[in-house]
Amino acid sequence: MQTKALYYRLIPLTFILIALAIWFQPDFFQRASGLNLPAGQLPKLSQTLKIDKPCVDTHPEWRAAQVVDGVAMAESLLCEPDNPYNIAAFVKGMNNVSMRTLMNSRIAEDALRKSDDLDGDGDPDIIRIKLEVIELNGATPDSPGVFPTYDIAPGIQPGMWAFSPKLRGMSVKNFRSIKANAILRAPSPVIRIEQGDKVYITLENTHYFPHTLHFHGVDHAFQTANGGDNDGVPVTGEKPVMPGSTRTYELQPRHAGTMLYHCHVQTDKHLMMGLNGMFVVEENKPNNWVQTFNVGAGHVRYSSVAIKEKYDREYDLHYQSIDKNLAKTIQNSNDVREISKQMHRVYNMSESNENYFMLNGHSFPYTLRDALIIAKPDENIKLRVANTQHSGIALHIHGHKATITDYDGVSINPLAQITRDVYDLSAAQRVDLHLQTTNDGLHSYGEGAWLFHDHVEMAVANDGISPGGNVALMVYESMLSPNGLPKIREGALDDVFTSSYYAKEKPLWGKLEPGTLAPNYVHLILWGLLIGLIIGLFIFIVRGLQKAD
Amino acid sequence: MHHFSFLILLFILSSPAFSAMNHGGMIMDEKGMIMNHNPDKLPKDCKEISEDIDITVRGGHKFAKEFDGKMFTYDKRDFQVPGCARINVTFINEDDIRHQFMIHGLPGYMYPKGMFTIELYGKGQKTGSFIVPSRDYTYYIHCEVSQHTEKGMKGQLKVGKGTGDLDSILGLTPPLTPDLYLVNNSIFTWASLALSALIGMLLILYFGNMLVRKLTLKNSE
Repeated sequence: MQTKALYYRLIPLTFILIALAIWFQPDFFQRASGLNLPAGQLPKLSQTLKIDKPCVDTHPEWRAAQVVDGVAMAESLLCEPDNPYNIAAFVKGMNNVSMRTLMNSRIAEDALRKSDDLDGDGDPDIIRIKLEVIELNGATPDSPGVFPTYDIAPGIQPGMWAFSPKLRGMSVKNFRSIKANAILRAPSPVIRIEQGDKVYITLENTHYFPHTLHFHGVDHAFQTANGGDNDGVPVTGEKPVMPGSTRTYELQPRHAGTMLYHCHVQTDKHLMMGLNGMFVVEENKPNNWVQTFNVGAGHVRYSSVAIKEKYDREYDLHYQSIDKNLAKTIQNSNDVREISKQMHRVYNMSESNENYFMLNGHSFPYTLRDALIIAKPDENIKLRVANTQHSGIALHIHGHKATITDYDGVSINPLAQITRDVYDLSAAQRVDLHLQTTNDGLHSYGEGAWLFHDHVEMAVANDGISPGGNVALMVYESMLSPNGLPKIREGALDDVFTSSYYAKEKPLWGKLEPGTLAPNYVHLILWGLLIGLIIGLFIFIVRGLQKAD
Repeated sequence: MHHFSFLILLFILSSPAFSAMNHGGMIMDEKGMIMNHNPDKLPKDCKEISEDIDITVRGGHKFAKEFDGKMFTYDKRDFQVPGCARINVTFINEDDIRHQFMIHGLPGYMYPKGMFTIELYGKGQKTGSFIVPSRDYTYYIHCEVSQHTEKGMKGQLKVGKGTGDLDSILGLTPPLTPDLYLVNNSIFTWASLALSALIGMLLILYFGNMLVRKLTLKNSE
């Protein structure tokens, strides 16, 4: 029985050892480094670092001023200029262009038809437009990725929707690619018509959810001539246009200006998904053929007669934002019921954030490829700016003060026009700017590669990684390279033309990250022995007591 | 005569030696300033200057490069002098920005606010002097430009034996509130832990059983 007493006497020892083990516990996962901080280390990238070429320069021949099917379009010195065949088709209508033009565009033959010079002034007045609904970076059951892919910036592929002119052929670049072809993109195209035109816009709902068209600020009757829905609001009009169905809306706008159109089904979500675009009504002038679609917005290569009279160049600037959580709702399922639940009921717009900010469907640095404002000294430039984000924008152009000529498509009395350097646009607002490149210390400070961007700072980053967002450049031709990129410091763009940077993995300025510390093995082994002692002692006591009984 | 003295005054004022203003111990010019410069006034407890010590301190970004994660520092950060020494500091700024050599804790009756400072507004150098009292003490040296001390520009001056080391001096003492770094654990970390625990357990069981056997043997005897 002496042995039993021995075991009891060992119990307090066990507790002392446990207390010692708690006190002596090593820092398993993080600790202070002592005198010298750990050496820097290269970041661990999830993919090998790949730096993209800032400009791929696929179609240098598209840049020059040229005449296609009688349409004389302006030069466009961008890295990615618009396809001249598309421009010709958008000006003349698919029914008035050559087979060559049709073959070089990816537009359906009935996407845009122009006919009937009703007022006899030399231009067509009946315009028939067909729009489809496209999805970018949506889910696919055939791969873990998204399809078709559309990068708004390096490696950033949020789920998005857009209206598009009725298309023809594949949605991808070619049968081996999963990349959306150039015409399948954000934002929804700018639609441009002439004041007084009879416009029939048919929504062909190619998508898997119901949608409508609503014309915001564009003169339209509440109902069509035969009593159909013409305002696109399911609550007050007809049911939405169901998948696989079509509806034709009728307009004959009496007032010219920069307006909008958007889907009015579950508007909070559907608008933010990208179903919104600019709608420009041009003043009625003789021989006024207008470029009915400006796909991707940006430079207008064929301006209307009225604009050509007053301005040297014209740009459509469409600002949009994306909530990454809303964008994800279409990427996680191919069951349309589940997508509808995730988007319309689980996702809560009142808890929404904006993470990505785009100018004309791209975020910096991709804005450098197709969203530059190009200028020469002593020019007059027309900027039509639309904000379809839900936050306001405070647009600023470095080195320039422009004059606000129109608010929401209504021109301001010239005496009351304001010249300033921040132009604020709340949700859905439009501002027309007259940008003068006269180097007089007021309108312009001279030639340069001047940044222009929303000064609400979250908008100049891609999900918080800067530079990004809607940052773009206003570049004078003297500062422009032949490939359409600004002449800037060699390698200046290497940091940002890589998906690793926007994946938040690559430190800025090529710097190292704080390193890690080696495990303290001596401490660890001593502590391990101690723990072993405690366990061994416990087993020893329990077994001993059992035997003693 | 008036004209003449005016000309002399003009000459004196325009000469470089007098372009610096000197108010008491404060010497200022467009390159920087020396505050509480004191080459000759003895502290109360010193009868004479014990030793003349010249030190040259360089400050700048490049000296911090050997210290990971830091931005500015001095080339030397630890000094020791005997009591009542006169220290002639030549401070050289190797950056194009402002840096200071600022020392605290000197007797307030002769160094207002207890400080001696050399400040350089950019690249350059200045020399100033101060005399330390006789008692053993560790004086705090730093650059007070925003965040320079915190990111490495800190040192100490021990008079006599000093009064211990200050915290957070690069290469000398660890920070008082250190950053924590991730430990680079691997399978070997956990294997060594498990193995040592196993050994500990077997050891106690082995020796425990041996002890019990001995005791039972004793009992049976």
